[in-house]
Amino acid sequence: MNVAPISRRPLASLKGTVRKVRQQRLLARSMATASEPTSTPTNSPSPLPDHNFFTFPDRKTSRIRTAFAVYSLPRALPSASKTTLIKTDTSPLPPQTLAAPHPDPLPALCRKQISLLDPTGARTALFARTNRDAARVGDVLMVTHRRGGEPFAGVLVSIRRAGIDTAILLRGRLTKVPVEMWFKVYNRNVAGIEIVKRAKKRARRARLTYLRQPKHDVGDVQNVVFAWKKSRNVLSTKTRAPGEKQRFEPKARK
Amino acid sequence: MIQLKTMLNCIDNSGAALVECAMVVGQKRHASIGDRIVVVVQEQRSAHAAGMASAGGTKVKRGDIRHAVVVRTRYRVGRRDGSSVRFDDNACVLINKAGDPIGSRINGVVGQELRTKKWSKILSMAPMQV
Repeated sequence: MNVAPISRRPLASLKGTVRKVRQQRLLARSMATASEPTSTPTNSPSPLPDHNFFTFPDRKTSRIRTAFAVYSLPRALPSASKTTLIKTDTSPLPPQTLAAPHPDPLPALCRKQISLLDPTGARTALFARTNRDAARVGDVLMVTHRRGGEPFAGVLVSIRRAGIDTAILLRGRLTKVPVEMWFKVYNRNVAGIEIVKRAKKRARRARLTYLRQPKHDVGDVQNVVFAWKKSRNVLSTKTRAPGEKQRFEPKARK
Repeated sequence: MIQLKTMLNCIDNSGAALVECAMVVGQKRHASIGDRIVVVVQEQRSAHAAGMASAGGTKVKRGDIRHAVVVRTRYRVGRRDGSSVRFDDNACVLINKAGDPIGSRINGVVGQELRTKKWSKILSMAPMQV
């Protein structure tokens, strides 16, 4: 029908345009046959040709009728009001896609979940790219569990930013055995994530996997954690110093 | 991912230092933390090793075939809450056929998956679990 305007449209909405063309063709087909009322008997001679692939004489009424039933237009045809068959040849329609009225629901869901699991926004801020005081790879972090157990401390090796699934990889050492642990940032069992020590220099890698090599391994961070705990107790036991540590909820026990 | 021919550290004072996996007991896939395996003792712990073998002496010898429980793996083990743990070595603890540990002491951290797999004796001997 209108091949040239379609070919001028961007390829990205090819699916939508093909769907539209199909609808237009359906419209055209129904419009073309709408003038011939096949169901109501009329005395006027039928405009249809005598014998065709699509037309044949009816046995009872001995009148020529179409071989196909003609249905009325679907009521909720989305582009029926906007589509005018006459004008399509002159001005191409803007490409309409079904994606525009239905945006991707997953980001909205992710935002909702994050607001549910992190109402104060502290967890988001601790690993936000925009936050200058955010934790970066190379820092020493300490993660406190709600399910008991000792807090796990280690060097932040990588941050996997994935919305609600955002996770951090800590590499520490327990009884002289190097241990790596992934923690989900928005997990409710993670009661607190604290920055024990900042890296001296900004790491020039996003993931410090080279820390697994013996040459670059940071090793035990327990001394750093002990020193930090001691200084924290000396400074203040009740009110926390701003910027010194970032904590979500007060810990049950120390 | 402990499978045939995997070399593991033995972290109890049974006298074995390095063992080789010969079979995974009770399943057809690789063994993880808390799974039972059959091992061959490859290296004995020397009598002068620090803190080890002094209390229990050498109970196993090189070439012995024993059962063992995997307590640490290099391959990461996922947890229910989305976190996961990965150690830098593969380690096991020797047990007898009844499931009791041969050694009397464990040095080194063990994985928490032993709790769900009902290895409470090993857990109680371990200095730390993560």
